[in-house]
Formats: sequence, C-alpha cells, structure tokens
Amino acid sequence: MTAIIATTVFGIIMMFTGLFVDNKKTVSSIAAVLFVALLGINIMELSDATGPALRSMTLSLLGTADNTNGAFPQLLFNNMLRIDKMSMWFGTAMTACTALYILLIGKEFRKVGTHVAEYFALIFFILCGLYILTAYNSMLMLFIGIEIMSIPQYVLAGSDKRNLKSSEASLKYFLMGAFSTGILLMGITLLYGATRTFNVTEMVPMLHSESLNPLAISGIVFIMVALGFKVSAAPMHTWTPDVYDGTPTAFTAFMATIVKAGVFFAFLRLFHVSFGNISEHWLMILAIVTALTLLIGNVTAVYQQSVKRMLAYSSIAQAGFMLFSVLAVSSNIAWNGIILYGVAYSVATIGVFAVLVKMKDYTYDGFNGLAKKNPLLAFVTTIFLFSLAGIPLTGGFMAKYYVLLAVMHQGNMMWLVIFALLMAAISVYYYFRVIIAMYFKQGDPELTSEVTMGDQVLLIATTIIVILLGVMPHWFLMPA
Amino acid sequence: MDIYSILFWFLSAMAVGSALGVILSRNPVNSVMFLILTFFAISGHYIIMNAQFLAVVNIIVYAGAIMVLFLFVIMLMNLNADVEPQKGMMIQLAGVISGGTLFLVILMGLTTAKSELIDTKSSDIGLISNLGKVLFTKFALPFEISSVLFLSAMIGAVVIGKKEHIPASEKAEIV
Repeated sequence: MTAIIATTVFGIIMMFTGLFVDNKKTVSSIAAVLFVALLGINIMELSDATGPALRSMTLSLLGTADNTNGAFPQLLFNNMLRIDKMSMWFGTAMTACTALYILLIGKEFRKVGTHVAEYFALIFFILCGLYILTAYNSMLMLFIGIEIMSIPQYVLAGSDKRNLKSSEASLKYFLMGAFSTGILLMGITLLYGATRTFNVTEMVPMLHSESLNPLAISGIVFIMVALGFKVSAAPMHTWTPDVYDGTPTAFTAFMATIVKAGVFFAFLRLFHVSFGNISEHWLMILAIVTALTLLIGNVTAVYQQSVKRMLAYSSIAQAGFMLFSVLAVSSNIAWNGIILYGVAYSVATIGVFAVLVKMKDYTYDGFNGLAKKNPLLAFVTTIFLFSLAGIPLTGGFMAKYYVLLAVMHQGNMMWLVIFALLMAAISVYYYFRVIIAMYFKQGDPELTSEVTMGDQVLLIATTIIVILLGVMPHWFLMPA
Repeated sequence: MDIYSILFWFLSAMAVGSALGVILSRNPVNSVMFLILTFFAISGHYIIMNAQFLAVVNIIVYAGAIMVLFLFVIMLMNLNADVEPQKGMMIQLAGVISGGTLFLVILMGLTTAKSELIDTKSSDIGLISNLGKVLFTKFALPFEISSVLFLSAMIGAVVIGKKEHIPASEKAEIV
C-alpha cells in the first residue's frame, strides 16, 4: 500500500520538477534518485511485512480494522486490495527492474523529446498500475489497474512527435487498446451477472462445475481475450510489432518487459484464484492460444531484418512461455515461475535494449563487427541473448525450466511442453544471428553516443544479475 | 401487457434499430445521429430500471459532450460516402464469420443462463443518494485511485498536445 502511495506522490513530484527545473540532466538525476527511493520503500515494506508494530500502525492510519488477525494476507479498503507476501515480492522485483531500466536507459529519454520530466512521471504512474495489478482483489481494481498501466503507454508510444511511425504506433495502440478494454469490461459484466460479485475470492463458490452458469464461461473467455491482448498472446498479437517498432526505443524497453510481466501476474492471479476450480472449461482454449503464440512469435521472428522488430516478435514468443505459468493451475511452482520468468526476461531484454539504443543502425548488419569495435558491448549482448534463448547458466534457462516444470507436474499437457522446447530451439536461430553479426562479420558499426564508464559498470552488473539468476535462482524467489 | 413491458419492448426495438442504423448508413453524419438515438434509448432503459442518475449522465456525457465532439471531427474531416474505403470480399466474409460466431456464443450464453435477475421495479439502488453512499464507502478506493488515471491522461495531453521547442539548427531544415 505504501508503494502505491509513494509512486503516485513521486509521479506528482516529477510533474512539478518539469515545471521548475529546465536542465534535462538534473531532471534525469532527480528521477533516478526517486526510483531508487521507491525501491527502498518497497524493500522496507517487504521486510516490515512480518513486523507487527509497523503493520498495525499503517492499518490504524488507514482506518481499517485489523481483520486479518495479525497474519498476511492483508485485506484493505473493503476487500479491494489483497496484499500478500507474493504480491509484495513481485512488486519489489519489478521495481528493482525499473530502477535498473532507469539507470541504464533513463538518460536516453532526453533524445526522445522535450518533456523529459513528464516521461518519468508517466513511468511512475505505470508502476502504480503495476502495484494495483499485483494486489487487486476486485474486478474493478483489475480494470483500473490495467487502465492506469495502459494510458501512459499510449502517450509514451507517441512521444516522438516528429517521427510519423511513433504517432502511428500511438494511435494504433490506443485504438486497439480501447477495443480490448471494451472486451474486458464486457467479460467482467458477464461474470458479475453470473456470480453477483466483483470480488475475486468471493466468486469462487459461485463457480463450480456442476451448475456453472454459461454467462460465466463467456465472461471468462472475454477476460482471457482482453488480458491476452495486453500480454500480446497469439491471435491478439497483431498490434505488437508495429507498436514496439514505432515507439521510441527507450520506451519499448519498458513496455515489452515490466508492463508485460505485471499483466501476467494479474492474469495468473485471476485464473488461478478465481477460475482455478473450473479449469477444465478454459484450459484447452488457453493451451491453443499458448501454442499459437509460440509458433507465430518464433517463426515470424526468423524473417525479421531489424533487431528491434525481432525483439518485438521475441517478446511475443516469450509471452508464450509465460503463459505456461497460467496453464499450470494445480501447481505451486507456477507463482515462482512467473516471478523468475518476469525478472529474467525483463533484465535480459532491458540489457539488449540498453545496447540497442546505443546503435545507430537497428538492422542485423548494423551490428556487424561490434566485437572488434567495442568488445564489452558485444560480450554483454551475447550473455543477454543467451539468456533470452534459454542457454543453461543464464536466467532464461532457469525461468523456462520453472514454468515448463510447473506444467509437467500437472501432467496432462506433455505435447505442449515438447512443442515449446522445439520452438525454443528455433528461437536460438534468430538470437544467434545477432551474435554471428557481432563476432564473425566485418563492419564498422556506428554508435550514437559514447559508452561511458557508468554504462560499462551498469552493463556488467546487469550481466552478473543474469548469470546469478541462472546459477542461484532461489535467491530471487520468495523464501518459503 | 403492462406499461413496463410496453416501454421495454419499444425502447429495445429503438435501441437495436438505431444501432443497426449506425453501422448500415453510408453517411457518417447519419451514423452519429443514429448513435445519439441509441444512447437515448439506452437512457430510457436506465429510467425503467429506476436508475435516473445513470440515465441523465448517459445523456449529458455521451449524447451531449462526446457525440458533439464526434460530429465536429467528422465535419472537420469532411467525410462523406464517396471517400469510404472499399473492403475486399474476403475481409467482409471474415468479419461476418467471426462476428457471427461471437454473436452465437453470447446468444447461447444468454438463452441458457438462469434468469434470476434483479427485480427492476422495487430496487432503488440506482438512485443518486445510494450511488453516492457506495461510491464513498465500499468503492472508495477505485473511486479515488482513478485520479491517477486522469493525471496520466492530463500529462498525455500536455506531452502530445504542447508544441515542442525546436532548436534553431533544426528549424532551418524544416522550413
């Protein structure tokens, strides 16, 4: 709860910073400090979560009765939010990824346009939406969380006003997003009609297999379509390549990683907690969606000529793997799987994008000979791409292992696991094309800006995180 | 047949008929007019469900503000039937099939659903005092937190709408 308040306040502080501070460099530094502070607040909240003194104090401040009997989960505001340790852990992990993103890519915001402070403010507001999505306990909060996350993204997509592609991306994203929001609302309405409640946990007894209201099934399918749109799952993925390609690269890195992971957490929570008992009604639809996502994402990525567009398709393919955690309804590993996958995928993709914003030419040929020109950049990119492809000893391998293991524990979807492994093999092809261009081709790649000492330290730190995720994954999972 | 069901069927026929008019009329201005008619019909439904506040808001916000804006945009863009892009046969067929499937699914859902719906006549849940009460007690958090949504929309208007300061060196290129 503190995190939601803090990120909103920080967003407003950034708005005023834009009013009073003209120097863009100062604005970026203030933003970086605020993001680190936000991470601190998250960690504090997490560590105090079990400390009784602070919790009862916050509860009395909020005017809510301590009806949880001193134990988590914490239900706030008439059961609108349900803050448990898992949601706090995920929120903290995503805040850490955002802080890393701001430190690595934040200074590129200056090149996008003049409203630097406003861009940071929008990112704070997106984080507010993310915290709501990690802790929602009511369909209304799910809807508001998704909207708070989406609207700033439409703006960020169109922030490079002199670029026609950016405006196109913004308009396309906005129209398609509004459409999917309509579908989400329709789904929530149907579900409300069937269960008479917005509450995620209270609707569980209304949803059981013997006397299932057909309205509920239609509602679930509508919600699945809308959430699938937000995470770019296959039949609803068509907006992704154009939007990610047209958006200024600095913002694509955020949209494709942290936002996507956040929506996945909400997806998982809703489908496991509320619809878990009637999984036989929707599991097969979601399995087909997963298979399609993997197929389309991976196969189309092979044909791309631009690395940025390839990363857009790769984000679709990775979404296919993340869907596995939603499929594993009866498995406890699914929650750990989505946290590990979210972090591993976000860190590696942010790393690749941090290198990409430095390149002048986004095609594969633009990477030719990077290993000779700047060995460090080439090396860290290689590690990030290894992680995305799922090579052992990197985070991506452990993440894929966890989500696939979760489905295998369930035992009824071996065909999908085998299919996913096949698709992972295809993904190696397009990720390695970048590595081949960097190491085995001649060329003189142009960089847009100098790789400073700070950049080098941060990139190396990111690489170490990626490797730690692969070697010591339990460090990143919530202690039992 | 009492007055409620007569009103209900009249308003429903009006809503469905003018909704069809929205998508079938060639001229965009006519479409907007039909849409306004649809909103009025839906507001009528709200009133027979005893939700006066919702009915008034629906008229003011949708039929009033948004549709006027809509009409302005259409007039400024000077759209008419001639410039309407022609869609291929295949796309039309695909649209009909997917839309028809969706229609069938929802139809199935609605017809087989248990119709233990709310009693429209005695319920006064849609009255403004009740609405205000739940908005500030039970649903206080969603109500308050949507301010973040509006803040980001406002920032969006500034970021997208405000003129960028272009350095003198680049100005020369554009002119």
